[in-house]
Amino acid sequence: MNLSRRGFLAFSSMLCGSFLLGNSADAAKGKYATLIDLSKCDGCTNEPIPRCVKACRDYNKERFPEPKKPILPYWPRKTYEDWSDKRDKIDTLTPYNWIFVQKVNIDDKQINIPRRCMHCDNPPCVRECPFGALTKQPEGNSVISDKLCFGGAKCRDVCPWHIPQRQAGVGIYLQILPKYAGGGVMYKCDLCKDRIKNGEEPACVIACRDRLGQNAVFTFGDRNQIYELAQKRAKEEGLYIYGDKQNGGTSTIYISKVPFETIEKALKANKERFQMPVKLENKIESTFNPIGKIALASGVISMLGAAIGAIKSKKSPKEAEDSEK
Amino acid sequence: MKNRIKRHSKLELLEHWSIAISGIVLLFTGLGCLPLYKRYYITDLPGFGWTGDFYNVTVVHYIASIVFLSAVIFHIVYHGLRGDFSLLPKKGDISKSIKVLAAMIGLGKEPPSEKYLPEQRIAYVGIGFIIILLTVTGVIKVLKNLEWIVLSPSIESINTLIHTLSGFIFMLAVIVHVGTVVLFKSNWPLLRSMFTGYVDEDYAKHRHSLWYEKIKKN
Repeated sequence: MNLSRRGFLAFSSMLCGSFLLGNSADAAKGKYATLIDLSKCDGCTNEPIPRCVKACRDYNKERFPEPKKPILPYWPRKTYEDWSDKRDKIDTLTPYNWIFVQKVNIDDKQINIPRRCMHCDNPPCVRECPFGALTKQPEGNSVISDKLCFGGAKCRDVCPWHIPQRQAGVGIYLQILPKYAGGGVMYKCDLCKDRIKNGEEPACVIACRDRLGQNAVFTFGDRNQIYELAQKRAKEEGLYIYGDKQNGGTSTIYISKVPFETIEKALKANKERFQMPVKLENKIESTFNPIGKIALASGVISMLGAAIGAIKSKKSPKEAEDSEK
Repeated sequence: MKNRIKRHSKLELLEHWSIAISGIVLLFTGLGCLPLYKRYYITDLPGFGWTGDFYNVTVVHYIASIVFLSAVIFHIVYHGLRGDFSLLPKKGDISKSIKVLAAMIGLGKEPPSEKYLPEQRIAYVGIGFIIILLTVTGVIKVLKNLEWIVLSPSIESINTLIHTLSGFIFMLAVIVHVGTVVLFKSNWPLLRSMFTGYVDEDYAKHRHSLWYEKIKKN
């Protein structure tokens, strides 16, 4: 292939372009964010199912797992995770329920917290899945591929909120070593990935607005605008913010009249399955990355050392000739 | 005392063992990065409790990668620039390798060898390729965790899968490598030279006669 210098540059930048989304931090964080205003959520008191929960279940029902039974236990253990008989459960996260409204009493007042994946800026679930089954999309949402997921549940372990939920008896592991490795497929909110790719809002956001209109709990939109809106309202109305700093930043911002330290304490006291820790550093950034920098620097130093060493110990022509024989 | 012939420099021994030891740590912690140890009760073994936390396991993986990455880069750059190519395969190595392997299990006679056995040269390229694959995909993983590069979702997935799958191949390669050295008595002098740097003159004369003659000529 004949390539001019300019052609080569154009070609390589095209190649890089297809690999990379761009190096700016904005590209990493993604396009959208959601604001969740806890002062407006009443948990849909007069409804059989909270609207956001119902909308999520309706929109995503085609994607819910249909496990093959009987399900094998996770050998050598005797257990397995099966929610398929509890599909109607709406008061917690399950493979069949990707958003729920958590209720907590503080000073005799009930606070309703819609809970789902926070869609972190540097998501541990995505970065640490050994099968690459999780991806962070340009829109900012983290998505689990039900085709690639092995169901090891590592994403749930490394997630600071332990959001992803496992269903056994489905997924690629059944084709590989069903008895010895893997455990199903993990499920969680992906912000209605196909809708937001098309510029539409997630189902929960629309359903909430249908009921509450201007007073809707969710506001979905451009990430920078959502962050600005949250900060502006926090300042003007004396509200507290959650999700902007936790785990290094997320694309889900809660605002509340009650400090999140108080909410955290109440959830802890109730031994809730899903907590809201306020002090939450991103361990990839705080723990892995400093060592990663040392590793990269050592690689460079080693390269220089090797080059200098090789030049200094350059063999005599005769030696070189011998070693080629 | 028998005459000894120098086979490896101290630097080469250091390269080999730093890659070997950090490689074993990387394999152990790499397997631990898969959700396996808890399920298989490894975390219940005394002294292995820390392997239950993916963050611990990954930190050790990262630390070991400092040694591994430095040693791999050093090996390639140093010997590449010096032109030490005696471990690269030559013409006819495949058929000669079959003879060497057959002789190890007592079939036929081994052909005369140079400093390295023909099957060693082939194995070197094979394991080297896997190591390069692991190193490159590993460095990419470090870079994307740092967010110094932002990969498209599918490239990030493919990179992760290559790292995980080549890790399994590396594990098999290490088992075969250690197995052929430890299980076959004919290879024990080579094992010793990996610690001391020397082989007996007798051994070199018989097994590596082409190399031996060349040294004697000089």
